[in-house]
Amino acid sequence: MGVHLAEAPKQLVKSREEAFEALFKSEYTRVAGIANRVLADPHEAEDVAQEVFINFHRLHSASAQFAPAWLHRAAAHTALNRIRGRRRRERREQAQAPEEASRTVDPQQMLEVNEDRRAIRAALARLSPKPAAVLVLRASGLSYAEVAEALGVRTGQIGTLLRRAEAALRKEVTRGTSI
Amino acid sequence: MFDDPDALTSSDRRHYAECTDCQARYAGMAEDARAVATLLAAPDLKVDAASAFARVQAAPAAKPRLGFTLPILRPASRTMFAGLAAAALLVVVVATAFANVLPLFQPKTVEAVPVQITDLQALSALGDYGTITWSTQPQPQVVLSAADAKTIAGFNAPVAKYVPASVSSTITYAAMPKAVAVFTFDASKAAAAAAKTGKPLPALPKGVDGAKLTVTAGPAIVELYGNLKASANSSSQDINLPQLVIAESSAPVVTSTQVTAKQLENYILSIPGLSKDLTAAIKAIGDPSTTLIIPIPIQYATSTSVTVQGVHGVAVGDNTGLGSGVIWIKGNVFVVAGPLKQSEVIKVADNLKS
Repeated sequence: MGVHLAEAPKQLVKSREEAFEALFKSEYTRVAGIANRVLADPHEAEDVAQEVFINFHRLHSASAQFAPAWLHRAAAHTALNRIRGRRRRERREQAQAPEEASRTVDPQQMLEVNEDRRAIRAALARLSPKPAAVLVLRASGLSYAEVAEALGVRTGQIGTLLRRAEAALRKEVTRGTSI
Repeated sequence: MFDDPDALTSSDRRHYAECTDCQARYAGMAEDARAVATLLAAPDLKVDAASAFARVQAAPAAKPRLGFTLPILRPASRTMFAGLAAAALLVVVVATAFANVLPLFQPKTVEAVPVQITDLQALSALGDYGTITWSTQPQPQVVLSAADAKTIAGFNAPVAKYVPASVSSTITYAAMPKAVAVFTFDASKAAAAAAKTGKPLPALPKGVDGAKLTVTAGPAIVELYGNLKASANSSSQDINLPQLVIAESSAPVVTSTQVTAKQLENYILSIPGLSKDLTAAIKAIGDPSTTLIIPIPIQYATSTSVTVQGVHGVAVGDNTGLGSGVIWIKGNVFVVAGPLKQSEVIKVADNLKS
């Protein structure tokens, strides 16, 4: 092999770290984007993305074939789990509302945008994990094949899953706003 | 269809052009998709991957202060085990303090010491008295085979000649080359800690400021039995726990500079919050220079003295009946643990070939 035995561990460690850095740099934007799609909060999305990468790094090799799919799925589920902790989320949104309102030209429009975001996130939290993840991953720009790989289903199922999930989400949003 | 118009065949198109039912369904789906796209709009995200990477690299979970991650544990368990790990390192330091021979501690046997959570908290305050740095970073890594583990650790992975029938035959190997931590006492940090807590902290004896304790851990090999990968639908938090863990590590070695054993002993035992029980238990250890002290939280487990492979060992049985483990030293330090009965764990231990 041409590698001295004593050097092998160092090389393994180095290549492992390099592989993780390469994976991080190629996937971070997308992983944070998935989380942001769920949370509608760039700061918290980055927090989730970093948590996901830390968990991955602790558990798996960055050169594993399933790495991107694992990260995408984990980003969606971790972010969805966060919005399920609704009380904390709502407290933060209330605290942010005046700040966002001050930046907008039309406070009424901003209020409506915030209300829509709150309603959609509440509805997402009520969906089953798989439909919610399908919606979020697809809305984040993943291809059908990438969504399928992340969720461990066949690519051919994604179209149907997506249609059902979209209908279910609209229904949930309507239900949530009419209560 | 809405997402991917190219997927339609020409016959599909002909049918669609004439079928009002299909057109209505399409209109409904398209409306759903457009509405969801609008609803799922998110604020702009501008990321700086390089600085985010730096943050992840610096995160305590990515580079644990005490040098080893516990990937197989659920987050709720991690706090307790991290506390135990901290206590283990610091109790080694305590043991060093008892040694009359200043520069060397290398355990030949193990002894259990019952501790309370308040003891762990008190011991962790030692971190406020100095700085832990790594002259050789711990680099645990998952490897593909026992041979790879040997390449990293420098010794053969232990082979279990007996495992209970309920345990999976799938083994994940992890290995870590030698790691070296240096704890440097720092009088200014101690003063700052005192100012922060408002509690009186023991004055640093002469010579303790700047004293260095060097703790060498590993190399080590860990074998995890069971399918540890999360299932396709689980979240990142759902990692399967191993059914059996077997670990072998070189015994830790501690050397110190500048400070005498007696000074260190008095100093550490004067840290506020250490219970009388713990202080007494540590003092009762026969030969601390060669004894590795295993802190056992009173409310989590009970420990018993057992004979494993002809030597003295400490067996830990979980009070809940959910798990047990045994640790012994025979040249290297060995651990066998799992969600098993204590008798099964000891049988695995007795039949381990290193």
